[in-house]
Amino acid sequence: MEMNNQAMESKYHRKLNGDTGLIIGMLLLLVGVEGFVLYKVLAETWEIAGDFFYLYVIFVGLMVVIEAIGCLSVRQSIKNHMFEFKYYD
Amino acid sequence: MSEHESASLVKTLRPFHVWALGVGIVLVGEYMGWNFTVAKGGVLGSMLAMLVAGTMYVMISLCASELGSSTKLAGGPYDWARLFIGPGAAASVGLAVYMEYIALEAADAIVVAFIAQSIFPELQVFPVTLLVIALLTFINYRGVVAALTLNFFLTMIAFIAIVVFFFATTFGTVDIHPEYLFQGALPNGMIGLFAALQFGPWFYLGIEGAAMCAEECKHPSRSVPLGQQAGMITLLIGAAMTLYLCAVLIPADMLGVSVYPLFEAAQNSGVFIFISLLGLGTFLTCVASANGCVCDSSRSWFALSRDKYVSSWFSAVHPKYNTPYRAVIFTMPVAIGFAFSGFLDQVITFSIISGLLCYVLIPFSLIRFRNLFPETTSRVRPFVGPLQPYIAYFAIAIAITILSTLFWGYKYNLIFAFVFYGIAYFYFSHRHKSSNAENNWAEMGWPLPRGSENARIGKEGIGVGDE
Repeated sequence: MEMNNQAMESKYHRKLNGDTGLIIGMLLLLVGVEGFVLYKVLAETWEIAGDFFYLYVIFVGLMVVIEAIGCLSVRQSIKNHMFEFKYYD
Repeated sequence: MSEHESASLVKTLRPFHVWALGVGIVLVGEYMGWNFTVAKGGVLGSMLAMLVAGTMYVMISLCASELGSSTKLAGGPYDWARLFIGPGAAASVGLAVYMEYIALEAADAIVVAFIAQSIFPELQVFPVTLLVIALLTFINYRGVVAALTLNFFLTMIAFIAIVVFFFATTFGTVDIHPEYLFQGALPNGMIGLFAALQFGPWFYLGIEGAAMCAEECKHPSRSVPLGQQAGMITLLIGAAMTLYLCAVLIPADMLGVSVYPLFEAAQNSGVFIFISLLGLGTFLTCVASANGCVCDSSRSWFALSRDKYVSSWFSAVHPKYNTPYRAVIFTMPVAIGFAFSGFLDQVITFSIISGLLCYVLIPFSLIRFRNLFPETTSRVRPFVGPLQPYIAYFAIAIAITILSTLFWGYKYNLIFAFVFYGIAYFYFSHRHKSSNAENNWAEMGWPLPRGSENARIGKEGIGVGDE
């Protein structure tokens, strides 16, 4: 019985790590792509965009930070309830 | 109650189905439509619109994740407004969601028919459009799992096409024109930056619909937040890649009026494999979007019917396939009517305005939800969204700002939409006030909302006095 519980716990943590890896991987891709595109466009248009570039920095910052915090909350929620709601059975 | 009506929706969906529903509906907006931001505000206006709308949608999707995983109901924004705001707002949102998705379905089906005709010139647009709408209705009639699994594969191919094209371009496989970025940076001056905002939602329009399959999820408290946030990140990545690819491969003046900008960018690259891949992606993403729209619009109509806002005849669930089959079939004549009305551009604008109305009322539903049910027990609120209610207020402010920019060029559509939803609001508020409909919180396994005990005691007190 105890062996079964241990196996289940190990399976649940493995699956949770899978969900976490997926989210972190996508967040890293998001940061990389947004940073690259923003840099390329602003570098080419700096003569025009130099006066209001901060608008882009503010909104990209807000977008990425809120999404990252949101994803951490999703992970925390899955971790808190995974045994209660038997997410990975 | 008949046997059909007592059957319930099947609970089998997983996070990837939620992702497929959300991204499947929206990805078409990255293949076409978003580029009108370039016509208004150039490359810089388009990028600001992408970031401002992206920030709003991140916040909306967090609100939708919390509301969807808590209520676990098929109506999505309609049910949230019904439970936490009132019948008038609920009916307005339910109708707005229905109009938003069914208009999009009609537009997608027509584009699929045009693409098919460009490949096989002997085909006629009218019968192909009918065939596409009928086929997707049939798939959704047969079962939600099959419909959304199909969506997953269609959407994944279309998304991978963008990613492959982006990385190939970034690593020098394709000759790009960075000078296009400067030439088309800001053609209409600073006012263009603001005007471009009105088309910013095209990058993400409809992602909130991912939460509408909550009632059919096996574990909604995991599937809805995980699928929705993964979908949101996918769209943010896709939007940035699309903007960059098109801006360095198509001159801005041509990009602003292009019908299929990503496909045109691939054509300008001159590489056959990318032309094929992006052509296929354009076709598949239209099919996926129309398919997701049938799913979401039928769920909204089903939810409206279940609560008797429209005829309860539509609330029947198929005994074998466990789908709201009458609501699904009913999408077909309405979509055909929209498709052949001759006013498709007006219909699409109405769809955007309807969406923006939802983006004001979804965060407002969340604010009300938090006020009425402050407890964070796993039964009431299994997923607790971060930074609330501040991001809900911020999302409302951005949605109203974008809505106000539609006054340039779409004044009459805006006035018509306000009149339409205003009438719906007052009509349904009056009708459901007289029928004295009350939410049955116990049936959902929830406690009574904050303040309801005092109200009930107050009512009883008045009753005793009257007697």
